[in-house]
Order: sequence, then C-alpha cells, then structure tokens
Amino acid sequence: MESNNLKKAVLNSALPVLFALIIGAIIIAYIGEDPLATYALLFEKSLLTPKGFMNTLHYAMPLVLTGLAIAVTFKANIYNMAVEGSCVLGGFFAGIVGASLSARMDALSMQAICLFTGILFGVLFALLPAVLKAVFHVDEMVVTLMLNYALQKILEYLATGVFRDTASGYVCTPTIHANAMFNRMGNFRITPFVFIALAAFIIIYLVMKHSKLGYEITAMGKSATFSEAMGMRTTRKIIILMIISGALSGLAGAGWMMSEKFKYTLDFSGNPGLGWDGMLVSLLGGHSPMGILVAAILYAALKTGADSINIYSAVPKEIVSVIQGLIILFLAIKFVDERFGVSGKISEAIYTYKARHKQTTSDQTSIQEEA
Amino acid sequence: MNIIQTIGLTKKFGDFVANDHIDLSIEEGEIRCIVGENGAGKSTLMNMLYGMLRPTSGTLLLRGKEVQIDSPTDAINLGLGMVHQHFKLVPSLTVYENILLGAEIKKSANSPLIDTRKEIEVVRALIDDYDFELNPEDKVEDISVGERQRVEILKMLYRNVDILILDEPTAVLTPQEVDGLFENLRKLRSQGKTIIVITHKLREVMALSDNVTVIKAGKVVGQLKTSETNEAELAQLMVGRKVAHAVNDGSTQAPSDKIMYYVENLRTIDGYGNEVLFGVSFEVHKGEILGIAGVEGNGQSELVSLLSGTMEAIAGKVFLKGNEITNWWPDQLRHVGVGIIPEDRGLEGLCGTMSIADNAIAGYHDRSEVCHHGFLDSRAIKAKRDRLLEAFAVRTGDVNGDVGALSGGNAQKLIVARELESNPDFLIACQPTRGVDIGSEEFIHAKLLDFRNAGHSVLLVSSELSEVLGLSDRVLVMYRGKIAGEVDPKKVTSREVGLLMAGISVEEQKSEGKEVGDGE
Repeated sequence: MESNNLKKAVLNSALPVLFALIIGAIIIAYIGEDPLATYALLFEKSLLTPKGFMNTLHYAMPLVLTGLAIAVTFKANIYNMAVEGSCVLGGFFAGIVGASLSARMDALSMQAICLFTGILFGVLFALLPAVLKAVFHVDEMVVTLMLNYALQKILEYLATGVFRDTASGYVCTPTIHANAMFNRMGNFRITPFVFIALAAFIIIYLVMKHSKLGYEITAMGKSATFSEAMGMRTTRKIIILMIISGALSGLAGAGWMMSEKFKYTLDFSGNPGLGWDGMLVSLLGGHSPMGILVAAILYAALKTGADSINIYSAVPKEIVSVIQGLIILFLAIKFVDERFGVSGKISEAIYTYKARHKQTTSDQTSIQEEA
Repeated sequence: MNIIQTIGLTKKFGDFVANDHIDLSIEEGEIRCIVGENGAGKSTLMNMLYGMLRPTSGTLLLRGKEVQIDSPTDAINLGLGMVHQHFKLVPSLTVYENILLGAEIKKSANSPLIDTRKEIEVVRALIDDYDFELNPEDKVEDISVGERQRVEILKMLYRNVDILILDEPTAVLTPQEVDGLFENLRKLRSQGKTIIVITHKLREVMALSDNVTVIKAGKVVGQLKTSETNEAELAQLMVGRKVAHAVNDGSTQAPSDKIMYYVENLRTIDGYGNEVLFGVSFEVHKGEILGIAGVEGNGQSELVSLLSGTMEAIAGKVFLKGNEITNWWPDQLRHVGVGIIPEDRGLEGLCGTMSIADNAIAGYHDRSEVCHHGFLDSRAIKAKRDRLLEAFAVRTGDVNGDVGALSGGNAQKLIVARELESNPDFLIACQPTRGVDIGSEEFIHAKLLDFRNAGHSVLLVSSELSEVLGLSDRVLVMYRGKIAGEVDPKKVTSREVGLLMAGISVEEQKSEGKEVGDGE
C-alpha cells in the first residue's frame, strides 16, 4: 500500500515533466535543432559537472525553503499565497539591517542578526492573514494573494524613497556589509547558506513526517471535521502553521539577499518570484519534503542549464521557460482530474458502453448494480 | 385516484438494502407525511421518485401509468417537484430571477435579452395566485429562511408541478415560520396539489398531514390515517422494538451512589441561532449506564456535541468527578478521562483517507505511549494498532491500508477500541451501533457492559430504543430539547416510553390518556 502510494506520487510528478520535455523536444526539432543533444547539454551542464551541480544547488536552496513554506500550509488545506510576500519582505529588511549595522561587527553575529530579521519580517507578514482566518474566518487565499501586491508597492516606495542608495544610478537599497554576506565556496556560486537551508529542510522533514504536528497537518488537510472532533484545535494550528510558513519564506528571502543579491532591487525576487516558483516546486513534489527537494533541484537545473544552452547551442534559452510553462500546464491537468474525476468518468463511460453492447436490455439492472 | 403508486420498489447499494419492496400509494390532493429515523430510507425513496437514484427493481406508477424517471428534469416534466432541505438558490439574485433561473423570459423568441419587466409581472402574478407573501424584487440574501423556502416552492410551482415533495422542510425554520409554511401547504392542497413531506417531527405530522407512512430499516412498517393515530403510536412504530442481544440484567453489581459525571441546566443554540437545548440536567453514577432515548432531532445530537467539546454551551455547567469541565476542548476532555464515540462515524470518528494506524491513535496521538517530545514513534503506533485490532477482533483486508476500506462494523469497532483502550472513566457513546452488522453490534454491547461492570460510567445516546432499554440502568427521554422524563428500563413498557418520546409526561399519562394524540 505504502509503496503503491509512493509509485503513484512519483508518477504524478514525473509525468508532467516528461510530457513537457516531449513537447519541448518537438519545438526544438521544429526549429531545426537536435532535441536530444540539447537536453543532454542542458542536464549535463547543470547536474553532471561539479560546477554546474554546485550552481544548481545554490539556486535550488531558496526554492526548497519557499516550497516547504507552501507545503506546510497547503497540506493542511490552508492556501497561503503570502510566501512570495514574506520572502521579499524578509529579504528587504535583512538587506536594510545588513547595510546599517556597524561594519566592524564580526561576520557570525551580523549574519545571524540579518537572518533573524528576515525570519521575523516573514513571520509578521504571514501573521496578519493567519489571525484574520483563525479569529474572523476571513478567506486566507484572497487576503494573502492581494497582500502581495500591496506589499510590492510599499517596498517600491521604501526602495525609491526612504532607503534608497543615492550613490547608485538605479533604484536599489544600500549594499550590505561584507561581513553580512555569505561568501562563495571555491570557484562555485554555492555559499555556506546551503547548510542553513539544508538544516531547515531536515527539521521540516522530521516535523512533517514524524511529529505530532505533522500528523495533525495531514489530518487537517484530509478532514477538518475529524481533526476538530479529535481535539486538534485547528484555529490554533492555523496560526502555528502560518508562522512556520512565514519563517521559512523569510529565511529564503534573507538567504537570497545575503548569498546572491546583496541589495534590494525592484526585481529582487525575479520573475515570477521565488515564492511562486516555490509553489510550483511544492506542487511538483506533491507537498512532500523529499519531493520538494528533488523538484527544486530539477527546477534550478533548468535555470542554470538555460545559460549553457544559450552559449553552446543555437537553441534560444527561452525554451526553458516554455518547458517550465508546460510543466505547470500538465500539473494543472492533474488537479482538474482530481477535482472533477475526468479520467474516472472516462473509464466508467467506456465500461458502461462495453457492458451495454454485451448485454440486452433485460440485464440492465445488473449493470447498474455493478456500476 | 392514486397519483403516485409504487409496487415493490427496491434499492440496493451493494449488499445493503436501502429500500426493501416499498409499496406506497398516494392519493391526489392529500398531504402525506413520510416519517422514519435517519437512515431508515426516506431520502432514498424520495430520490428515486425525483429521478436522482434509479430503483434496483420494482415499478413506479404516476397517475396510473408506469413511468421511468431518469433525472430531476424528467420528474419536473412529469409534474413532480422537490424542495430540498438545503436550498439551492443564488443569494445575490432577486426572488424573481431565482424563480425563473433556467426558464428566463426573453424579449422575443430569438432575442438574447431578458424581459425584466415581464419577468417581474409573471412572478408577481404567480405569488398572488398562490397567495404567498413575497416581494419578487427582493434579493434572496436579504430575505428570511422562511421566505427563501417559499421561493423554492414557487420555483417548482412555476414549472407546473402538481406533486410537491418537501425534504425536512421545518428543520431550518423558526416556530412562527413553521406555522406559515403549514398554512401555505394547506392552501396548495385546496388548489389540488399533492404534497409529500419527509420529516421526523411527529408533532408536525399530526398538525399537517392527512395520512402518514412510517418507514423503518427500508420497509414500510405503518400506513395510517392521521386522524386515527397519535404521536405515541408513531414514535413506537418508528423506533420499533427488537430483542437486544447483550442485556444489562442487573445481575452484576448495582451502580454505586457516587456521582461520576453531572450536568446542570445546559443550554445551547444551533448554527441558525435557534435554541435547541433548554436547561438539561442529569447525573451519571459510577458503574452506571445512563441511556438517553428520544425521537431523533430532539436535541440529542446537540447534547452530545456539547459534551464532546465540538459545540459550546451558552449556559449551564458540566462536572466530571467534581471538577468543572464546561466547554472544554475535545483533547482536554480526553486527557481527564472522557472517552468519546461520536455520532457520525465517517465524519467525526474516523478519517477514511488516513491509515488504520493513524486513525487508531487519533485523539490520543499526544500520549507518551506513542509521542515523545512532539515526535511520533511509528513502531509504537503500529504496535498499538495491532493491539486494538486484536482485542476488538477488527477484521481488515490490509492492515496498512486506509480506514475507508473497512466495513461499517469493523470501522465502528476500531473507534470503540480506541476510546475504551485509553482507559477513560466516563464514556460518551452516541449511536454506537448505527449501521453495523449484528455480530459487531453484540460485540460492542458486550464491551460497553464490561466497561460499566468495571466501575466506569457511560452516557449512551441512541435512537434505537431496544439498545437504550437493553443496556441502561436508567433511561432519560428527550423531547424538544428537554428531558421529558426518566424511566426504569426494567419496568417500563414501550407504550410508556413512546408517550414520553411524544412529549407526554408521566404525570399526564397517569392523569388519564384522554388527550393522548395531541402532543402537548
């Protein structure tokens, strides 16, 4: 049974990727390039060379964190769309603190303070919708979704006004002190932040798989009435889960600031944004921590591989965006099916059709019984 | 003439027979009530009439002609309409828009535009025709529940329906609205409509219907003229009386004098803001099973929800072993030794899509037995699961599988196992054997008696009279949110219980049964 579930989960996530790659291959073939060679290049340069793999890991880490942030709430049927906001807000204030502390402070305490600031603001941002949901039953999906846009404008105001680095020719906040930065390890883009992210991953893995809270998350996601009757106090759990989600997002943002960006620019989180990418990663990983780790690495590999395609082949790197888009599309099909049972209905229709043809009308009742 | 007649109408779901050879004939222009407990098969029968379910066998005659109804649209075309318990209206649209939804009046045959003025006129004429009180231009979200129900009825009447089925129409109404509804239904009858009302409120049956059909366990057990019966007789027919297998014959020790659990003056309101419990008080002694009997819908469900921590009391107090536990959460209750077997096995007692092991620890997943410092011990969980399955003889196809795959009896045994094996002092058991096979029923009854004989206490709430009378040391009967009286299960006759369930107190019974049929 358990191995069956696992098989199903893997299939559910692997199929969308496979279909996306197949359609991507058709497009590559259509523009006159060799799809297999292109894919070989894409994955070789991003996963199979030490340098490529290290770079991929570097880009995967924030996605692992935002993916987990999505999973802890989605699995409990709480649709927290504020991961992007928590991530950006956490990153922003980690950057402000990292630039305004005394430059002579030692690296360890400075980094700790910055990370803590990121986590704190991530949590604060998630707390507002959590309280609204738990106390007033306000729909968290709408609130969290819309708050992101409000936040985007507020940060734009802060970055262009209050905290603007006037020495710079474009809109950004001051660069953080060298002591607040996570430095690259060797020749690779990867930084010590990877260890912090992996530590967070292990903690969340244990919590989700083996803890009382993880058990309650699963129960809440499967049946709210049941978990309430079993004394899981769902309103309190909603707040706890949103705090965890906000903390992970804030950590992702702070890490991104301190290991990659070093200052806040208006495109800090990229396009579509670390939080939104994290949502895809979480869906692709079936909201399971291991799945999220694999999905994040795959997703980051597409990103690092894209540059190699651009350099070493005639295929434009936009093909990677096409593949990413197709993955989302095929994932959506899976959810439509789960929601409306399309494949079930099709197989049922085929079954009834066959049965009708086999039997005469006098046997109609037995068909209904079987169905 | 019979407008509806069914001959041997049967519906099976797998092995379960929901309707067993139902022969029903309904005359044109009558108000017919169909009564029965939850799960007796009333809704299955109505859903077959309305085309939502197809009969496994049997024939259905409408105005003397055999018909096959495949969908609600078919039913409406044949002049048969249904008003559901939960309204299917669009709150943001007006009354007339809701009534004409799907049958909009266009400006001309091919025009895409709706003729609003004509629509309002038509609906106003319809309202006047039937003498209903409604303003066609009000938005549905702004009108009362009673008015919404009128909109539902008009929706059907507009479609020229002459048979109207109402499913539990009074469940959501205030007493005043109930009176209004009855008046409207009588008006409709005088205009030649046939009305079928599904209900389990006997007072309303007596007040409204011409004839009444009683269904129990999928069979018609009574077909009576309302004027020739009374509430007590109906109550007796509904709950029946079959021989209980395990019986509390008092041969073991009598209950102690010590009080284990008591409640004082409990009151609460339901989700619609109606008061459903009016000052309920009782005490349960050590080593005693206190039974609560009554026709369903008289506050028992709310009482159990309240005592299990999923509903809040607005007044009153609950004590366990002398300590107040009013409005405690379910986890707190379980911690101080209250075991809970909830009314709805599939919804509250178990989670069908979680594994047997996960269900076996639910509610007790924070105990040191399976949980250390917030982390669960999967080996201990499996051990606990195996212990429960073994001790309560729960048969499973796959022990690692989901609970949803278990049969009703085995699923219920799992719940009883979980609650009893945690060694509570007091057990709330609500409908502990509903929908389970005879073998499991006997087993569960024996376990409840063992638990009592070990000096613990049980509050047993059940709509199965034989269960309550067979197991309990004392029985309280609930009627309309109050305790109507207490009886000794060893001495009472089922007629006396029936009268109490119909709201006629012991004193009234003694002072002569002259007005027995009238309820209050």
